[in-house]
Amino acid sequence: MDDLDRTIHEPARLRILTVLSGVDEADFNFLLNTLGLTKGNLSSHMDRLEKAGFVNVVKSFNGRIPHTDFSITEEGTRALKKYWEELDAIRAMKDMSDS
Amino acid sequence: MATRKQSKSAKNDPQAIVRWTRRYAQNRTISFLVQWVFIVLMVVVIGVAASLTQLAQERESQALFIVAVVLMFASMLALAWFSMSRWSGELIFSITNRLYGREGYASYSGGPKGEKLPVWLTTLGGGLVVYHLIGALLICFNYMAIQYLQPWSALYMTPYLVAMALYQRLGFWAWLWPLLYGVHALLLMLGLPVRFGREYELLNIVVPVFGYGFIAILVGHIYSRYALYKLKTLTRDAIPDTNGNYEQDVPDADEEVENG
Repeated sequence: MDDLDRTIHEPARLRILTVLSGVDEADFNFLLNTLGLTKGNLSSHMDRLEKAGFVNVVKSFNGRIPHTDFSITEEGTRALKKYWEELDAIRAMKDMSDS
Repeated sequence: MATRKQSKSAKNDPQAIVRWTRRYAQNRTISFLVQWVFIVLMVVVIGVAASLTQLAQERESQALFIVAVVLMFASMLALAWFSMSRWSGELIFSITNRLYGREGYASYSGGPKGEKLPVWLTTLGGGLVVYHLIGALLICFNYMAIQYLQPWSALYMTPYLVAMALYQRLGFWAWLWPLLYGVHALLLMLGLPVRFGREYELLNIVVPVFGYGFIAILVGHIYSRYALYKLKTLTRDAIPDTNGNYEQDVPDADEEVENG
């Protein structure tokens, strides 16, 4: 249980990484709209994921409007895969102990 | 050992989030609508020019013939410029942003990031313009009847668009357009009653390009709405806020952020 990556284990960050693992890149508005988070929460989670090296952040401007694109890194993809494998193992153990 | 897929229903499988995110990204068709409007306009101009050359020959008017050929070349050049210019790219991006602004942007190409289209496919894109120009010139100089313009177009467009859909990993909507366009050409060649009369000859190319393109883009757009709905539902259902029973075992250090 201790092996579970706590950065990923938080549900909002797990959703963010899972969504990003399905696309090449997505912008701030897409994640905001899809995940139903507040701007502050999403920014905070993205900072944490960026610091962990799980997402790439590209900031630019569309005219005067700031635009931020996110993509999952290889490290993020590996960590997400490992997380699901470990969670599967925990669930399997729990199922066995329940039965 | 029970796996995630075995122990969770498809509805709660997080991998479904990945699938539906891709389906959504692959079926955002509004940006294609902008390109399609321009292509349709160009095809109409080329078709009108080709028709004018026929009319010019019937009336033996050299001036009209020259105007038609100049119009044809000008529209081809405009199409080539639009396909390659930075301005058109920015225009499409700007319109797409306005239309999809509220739901944001997501893209999926399936290949490595920054991977470009193969050179042969890019060359085929340029060849599209040349090929149609050759077709129009064949009509101008009476080497081909105007009723063969759509099948002539489909002979190139269908495999080209299929290759584009394959390489860009576009959604199923992208297959609809070349498929319907190709089938229409076959039906025309077989003499089945899908042809407009001689007085409306131009519609035989305009309607398939316009109609099938619109159908494909509309189908893609509607499907993307459904994919977005599924995605929003799945992100809530497949990864609940408590992570099932395991939240108690692994407390989250950022709980105050999430609740804030």
